[in-house]
Amino acid sequence: MNTKLKVSKVSKIYPGCIANDNVSLNFKSGKIYALLGENGAGKSTLVKILSGVINPDQGQIFLNDKLLKLNSPKDAKNNNIGMVFQHFNLFETLSVFENLSIDSEKNNDQLRILVNNILKKYNFKIDLDVPILSLSAGQKQKVEIIRCLIRNPKVLIMDEPTSVLTEQETEDLFLSLKKFSKEGILIIYITHKLKEVLSLCDEVAVMRKGKVVSISRTIDEELSSLANKMIGESLNKIKKMTSNNFSEEQILTVSKLNFNSEDPYEVNLVDINFTLNKGECLGIAGISGNGQNELFQILSGETLSNNGSIKFRGKEISKLNPKERREYLMAFSPEDRISQAAVPSLKIYENVALNNFKTSNFFEKGLFNERKIKDHSKKILSNFSVNTDNVNLKSQFLSGGNLQKLILGRELITSPELLICFNPTWGLDVGAINYIHQTLVKINEQGKSIILISTDNDELLQLSDRISVINNGKLSKIMSADEVNPEKLGLLMGGGLVD
Amino acid sequence: MNIDINFLGILIGAIMASSVPLILAASGELITERSGVLNLGVEGMMIIGAISGFALMVMTDNLFLAIIGSMLSGLLLSFIFGFLTQSLLTNHVATGLALTIFGIGLSAMIGKDFVGIPGKEFPLLFVNFKEAVPFFGPIFFGHSIVFYFAFLLPFGTSYFLKKTKIGLIVRAVGDSPLSAANQGINVLLVRYCCILYGGAMCGLGGAYLSLIYTPQWIENMTAGRGWIALALVVFATWSPLKVLVGAIIFGGITILQLHMQAMGIRVPVQFLSALPYIMTIVVLVIISRDSRKIKLNTPTSLGQIFYKEK
Repeated sequence: MNTKLKVSKVSKIYPGCIANDNVSLNFKSGKIYALLGENGAGKSTLVKILSGVINPDQGQIFLNDKLLKLNSPKDAKNNNIGMVFQHFNLFETLSVFENLSIDSEKNNDQLRILVNNILKKYNFKIDLDVPILSLSAGQKQKVEIIRCLIRNPKVLIMDEPTSVLTEQETEDLFLSLKKFSKEGILIIYITHKLKEVLSLCDEVAVMRKGKVVSISRTIDEELSSLANKMIGESLNKIKKMTSNNFSEEQILTVSKLNFNSEDPYEVNLVDINFTLNKGECLGIAGISGNGQNELFQILSGETLSNNGSIKFRGKEISKLNPKERREYLMAFSPEDRISQAAVPSLKIYENVALNNFKTSNFFEKGLFNERKIKDHSKKILSNFSVNTDNVNLKSQFLSGGNLQKLILGRELITSPELLICFNPTWGLDVGAINYIHQTLVKINEQGKSIILISTDNDELLQLSDRISVINNGKLSKIMSADEVNPEKLGLLMGGGLVD
Repeated sequence: MNIDINFLGILIGAIMASSVPLILAASGELITERSGVLNLGVEGMMIIGAISGFALMVMTDNLFLAIIGSMLSGLLLSFIFGFLTQSLLTNHVATGLALTIFGIGLSAMIGKDFVGIPGKEFPLLFVNFKEAVPFFGPIFFGHSIVFYFAFLLPFGTSYFLKKTKIGLIVRAVGDSPLSAANQGINVLLVRYCCILYGGAMCGLGGAYLSLIYTPQWIENMTAGRGWIALALVVFATWSPLKVLVGAIIFGGITILQLHMQAMGIRVPVQFLSALPYIMTIVVLVIISRDSRKIKLNTPTSLGQIFYKEK
């Protein structure tokens, strides 16, 4: 079965921004196509047009030479176009199976058999009867993929699917995608990760500022050539000096920390012990959903541990709440920018005011000192190169990268002694990642300490002085960054290596 | 002893009858809220249902028409709410409050000519058993068809939400209208249907008051029952069966405290009058403590305006 998809002269204009400018592309089944570009390059707009979520202002889409009228997502589905969005389209309070059954014509028994077959075939391990909100990001993604597969798609569009997956999960996904491609499904893979383009895809179209700037075969490309096409300028690669010359002064000492959750879908933490030195970056690797969330929450004081101790410069802080911990000059950057770190519907300066360090004096006698906060916010915007200087802008209009810069800036501008961050570059483009990595290296150089909880191994290996792996709520032995490599990390993360 | 048991049966029967309008309105509002729409116009829709049911009964002398008409009038009022909030994207809370004020005013105006007109006797079912069976007779028999419908409704609602495809879609829309729209679900249609259904049930709840429970028209006769129904839905954490429990407790304590007042128990009257409200909330809070369940039952998008990107 051959499938041909043709995008012909598609344009979409938003006020103040041309999201797609005369985009023309041709796709054939049997190959995996990459659509590469930075955040804001217009990939997501094109994908939304292909999946019927928005209508183009101009241009047509043809499937097997038939003109498609995609007025709603239903039209895309009925034409066998499957779509895995970057932001999950799942119903958090419904169970996995309910999520799958909602748009299926099959009866529940047939569907369950079908889903179980898919789970088995692609080796996905997901309990069908738990609510989505208890799944990790990686598992949610799998539910999205399964939802497409049950409809036997002709075209499968993946919008940045690996931003939440670990290396092992990514490899599994790639094997599956290659399998789908062999089975005759046309695959369009949207990403800003260059390595993935080279290891997975056959052809690559690069988009920049709404335009397609290049179409080529991946065997003719290499990392640097793709990066230059995507960004239009050269990047300097970050390499942290692994000097190990951080001082022996201990900033944070965690000992015999245990956490037993009442929620059966949370991970219990077992006997966590580590120390963090001044000026050091401690990386914590692991597959998502192995206790990172719980560890972050306990370190930040959002939840309290059942027993064990956390000492900051020798003072016991395990019973303190986040605000009290901030007074010790600890700073936190949670995983979920939109719901945990910032309030999207508030203006930038209001979000800045939300975490008032004791030093900042934003509030006088309970009243809001607007001018002070705005000045402070402007300083953050300029010091951390957020691409706006309008502190009255609602935070929801910032792109992911800029929002993350704002959040980090908010935490760092008071020069904390310790920064704990959780997936700080999740879903960001190369430019933003680069900037945030540089910032993290810089604060280490200033003698501040970092705990970096991340599912991105490259990031961990680049930035950490020492690395530990969390697996099923247990921390591995802490290793010096020199003695680990991606393979060893992968084995530890998968529980395949016991130290 | 026999007399006591029969009295107890009659008392329980009366308690159940008094909770019928709450069950109807709360069950309707529950479906509306499960789709993510917060309609605070329950009181207004109930009172409009009450007057239009009564007016139709007087004019046509046909109780069936009166019941249908009351549901249609509740539905019509909720359509105004639906059009404003769903098509014109107005704020749910403000629109709902306006609807209640509008409903109370309009019903008083329509009702001017109907004050003091005696109602018609509503046919009751299984009247023979009421006397024949001790204790259970007055509880289960000799009630109107609306009574039986009301007591089956929470079970039907629960089944609808948990077991049917359409119920699943309603919950999905309430959870995330955006995801639902991306799945090809017509969010507007689903929400309109839920709003209209809620309106019809509120209308029926109002008509129960003016046609069956106290067959006459009195201005403002719903007396805040709409607000109680709204509170029941929230305190019952959007679970139909807990709404039923809450409605019975509220009806029960309302009637018991009246008896206590009549018996001249030396407790301040104000306290006794407040008792139903306090007890209902306390009991519902206690039976709905499970925070995980609350999270799973709460319609995440409740009260949020939804519009489709084009």
